[in-house]
Amino acid sequence: MTEWWDYGLADLLLFSPRVYYRLFETMNTTWWLVVASALIAGVIASGLALRHGFRGNRVILVLLALVWAWSGYGFLWQYYQPINWAVPYLLPAFALQVVLFAIFAARPLPLRFGWRGDLSCYVGASLVAFALLVYPFIGLIEGRDLVQAEIFGSAADPTALGTLGFVLLSRGTWRWVLLPIPLAWCVISAGTLWVMDQYVAYLMLAAVWVTVFCGWLDLKNGVTTKRLTEAEIRDPAA
Amino acid sequence: MSEFERRGFLKASASLGALGLLASGVPAWAQGSSDARASEVLQKQIPSTGEEIPAVGLGSWITFNVGQDIELRNQCADVMSAFFDAGGRMIDSSPMYGSAQDVIGYGLDKLGARDRVFSTDKVWTAGDGAEQIAETSDRWKIEQFDLLQVHNLLGINENLPLLFRMKDEGQLRHVGVTTSHGRRTEDLIAVMKNERLDFVQVTYNPIDRKVEDYLLPLAYDRGIAVIVNRPFRGGSLTERLEGQPLPEFAAELEAKSWAQLILKYLIAHPAVTCPIPATTKPAHAAENMAAATGPLPDEKMREQIAAVIGVLV
Repeated sequence: MTEWWDYGLADLLLFSPRVYYRLFETMNTTWWLVVASALIAGVIASGLALRHGFRGNRVILVLLALVWAWSGYGFLWQYYQPINWAVPYLLPAFALQVVLFAIFAARPLPLRFGWRGDLSCYVGASLVAFALLVYPFIGLIEGRDLVQAEIFGSAADPTALGTLGFVLLSRGTWRWVLLPIPLAWCVISAGTLWVMDQYVAYLMLAAVWVTVFCGWLDLKNGVTTKRLTEAEIRDPAA
Repeated sequence: MSEFERRGFLKASASLGALGLLASGVPAWAQGSSDARASEVLQKQIPSTGEEIPAVGLGSWITFNVGQDIELRNQCADVMSAFFDAGGRMIDSSPMYGSAQDVIGYGLDKLGARDRVFSTDKVWTAGDGAEQIAETSDRWKIEQFDLLQVHNLLGINENLPLLFRMKDEGQLRHVGVTTSHGRRTEDLIAVMKNERLDFVQVTYNPIDRKVEDYLLPLAYDRGIAVIVNRPFRGGSLTERLEGQPLPEFAAELEAKSWAQLILKYLIAHPAVTCPIPATTKPAHAAENMAAATGPLPDEKMREQIAAVIGVLV
């Protein structure tokens, strides 16, 4: 008899693009102050992350924890859950990502963000810039109003994309722990967008592929395996 | 020619095409009758109970899953209003359809239409079916469903006995099972042969015609009412036909759109009780209901409809 694995991707999509993008419109207009604050948090975090050797590593991690918490509660729980019965099963992942950021922020030696000038940095910075500055305007190409913009820190897709970029901009052991949840979200969301015939699905999948590739490069080059030196610990600007 | 065709289909279809009415040679439950108060909407009988329902219903998959958005909820209520005003009764939903059940409950509240609806829903869980049905009932704000179906045969060994028990205890009026996209045909056939079903729900349209070979004749012979899902292939069929001129014979059937032509194709089949197209537009709900009025195609015309659509898509 029929079981769960008989369902295809299209069977599990239960809402239309019209309803999906109305979620962002309602959220942006109802919670505009929080949405704007979350975006500003992202801008501040990116400014900190791109400065060479800046000391604000813990601040970045705390800001990322906050935007994931807000995106999980504000977007997923308040708006997405009523039209997607799978959301309650995904929310624990968002909560776990918040906890992981908090743990990394509280570690004696947090991740260290900064410009290294390697491929991962270029890709990471591009992903952050794309999530913060480009993603909100993608809907205009498809003819949607700007009020339906998906904004970093509130909408889950740009938040996950930007997070991939932030993680690529960081160095330190166990960095990879912060990648699976945003990567998984990008894959799940790409599936949803693909079934809705939204071309941005391909961008999400491209971001996944390039992040995994850069992560592998960093692993190979020791970026994520070498412990920071005593000098680096004493002088984060070094 | 099959026994099914000999006994009913050809005679019935030919008569429908000529007169717009179902004729002799078809069992009473497969015949329609006009109801002047419901704008002459064709009524079809449920074989197991003899109850009549309008020959077009309303689906809610995707279209009614609008969450808490009050503007969109009101649009759905407008669709329901147009549907009821045009003589419609059956509204179908599922726990799988996100917020659709809540939205139907909202619409029924707003329209005060609980006495007009033929409430149709599903149980979709391999776990506690009774708990899910209770939740579904709360969402519709309805005490007794007219029809509950095992969705896509999921958990059928537990859920079908539960539905029969509810029916025996007077908590439910009809029992059915559903499939879509032509899945699990063999399993569905086994259930249709071995259980005393009131309804079965299958995918059927001028492109997806596999059910014509065996399932529809079986339902006809077993006296099982047939609900048709995906009559427009989730909207893609009518989208692809948009802008194409209707064939000349559509005028004979008083079909003013491809949607109406497709629905007439479906409801002219003597085994079909009720297609359930979904829509977000009140005008389309009324247009769909209007397909259940006026002449219906005979066998030859049905083949022509399928052939024309097959060429265009």
